[in-house]
Amino acid sequence: MGKRTMQEATFMILTALASGSQHGYGIITDVTGISDGRVRLRAGTLYTALDRLRGDGLIEVDREEIVDSRLRRYYRLTPAGGERLAEEAARLQANAHVAMSRLDLSGGLAT
Amino acid sequence: MTDAARLERRYRRLLAFYPAAFRREHEEEMLVVLMACARNGRRRPGLADCADLIRNAIWMRLRPWAQRPAPSVFWAVGLMILGAVLELAAVVSVVATQDSLRAAIVRHFPHFTVGHVHQVVYAHVVAVEIGAPIAAAVCLLMAWANGRGYGWARGLVLGFFALTSISLLSAFAQHAETYAPVDLIVGCALWLVGLVTVVLILSPRSEQHYDHRTPGPRAHKNRTAAPWPGHEHVWPADTGSASWN
Repeated sequence: MGKRTMQEATFMILTALASGSQHGYGIITDVTGISDGRVRLRAGTLYTALDRLRGDGLIEVDREEIVDSRLRRYYRLTPAGGERLAEEAARLQANAHVAMSRLDLSGGLAT
Repeated sequence: MTDAARLERRYRRLLAFYPAAFRREHEEEMLVVLMACARNGRRRPGLADCADLIRNAIWMRLRPWAQRPAPSVFWAVGLMILGAVLELAAVVSVVATQDSLRAAIVRHFPHFTVGHVHQVVYAHVVAVEIGAPIAAAVCLLMAWANGRGYGWARGLVLGFFALTSISLLSAFAQHAETYAPVDLIVGCALWLVGLVTVVLILSPRSEQHYDHRTPGPRAHKNRTAAPWPGHEHVWPADTGSASWN
């Protein structure tokens, strides 16, 4: 059986971590930025996803800090996470390429 | 109490819906994110945040089922739930077939007085009324624990099956005089369900579900003790690029 398609929130979280380690709030703001405000992660969704991704070995804890008596934990991609993200990006790119080439053949979007 | 303290207390109440292990791991950092995302002066969590936290808390609690284990364990857990239903059916059947039970006792022990027969029937019904709900609860506990892959859960299943077997053998050893036919049928069905369950959870395909649950990324054994509360402290690793906004 093939790998399951990645959910958009998961894809965006991995993408946010692809440029370096980030803490939870950093991931939320980064995802909002790279999706032009279309994807707005909430804490419950984010940490459920982070816990699952950690369990799957796609991300890991980079370091922990205590600031103002509060825990700040930074996450980073693992090599397996990087590979999985690259596979998913390639899959999306291939799909988009097929869609765009067919639109070109049919003379663009119908109006 | 300040607005921020009120808001934090309310967020903590919502986070209480999550499993304890998840809270231990993520509660403090989730609170930081929730408080950082909340508007200044807010006293109550927003509706969307509440819905998101509760929905994900439910998901976290159901996740062992959503991530379906090996088919053998999945079916074994289903049979344990069926066992609980059968235990409760046993109560109904015993209460509903008291006359049949009384007739069976009179047939096998014609010398018993009416009072003696009544005493035996009463003792049997009370035993089932007390024992069956407890057994049903044990079945549900076994289903939950096996679904989550706890190693001790298999031992519990084996022990429970041994007790069921002894109980059924003892009934047959007494030539089933004090059992109504329906009662015996339910007992045999329970034993068969237990037998299939034991075979399923002891099968090699189930091994991976039970073995080595605790190690791995979720165990976080390497978590360092934090100097809590206190000034900023950075655990060693490469320097990250993120900043606190």
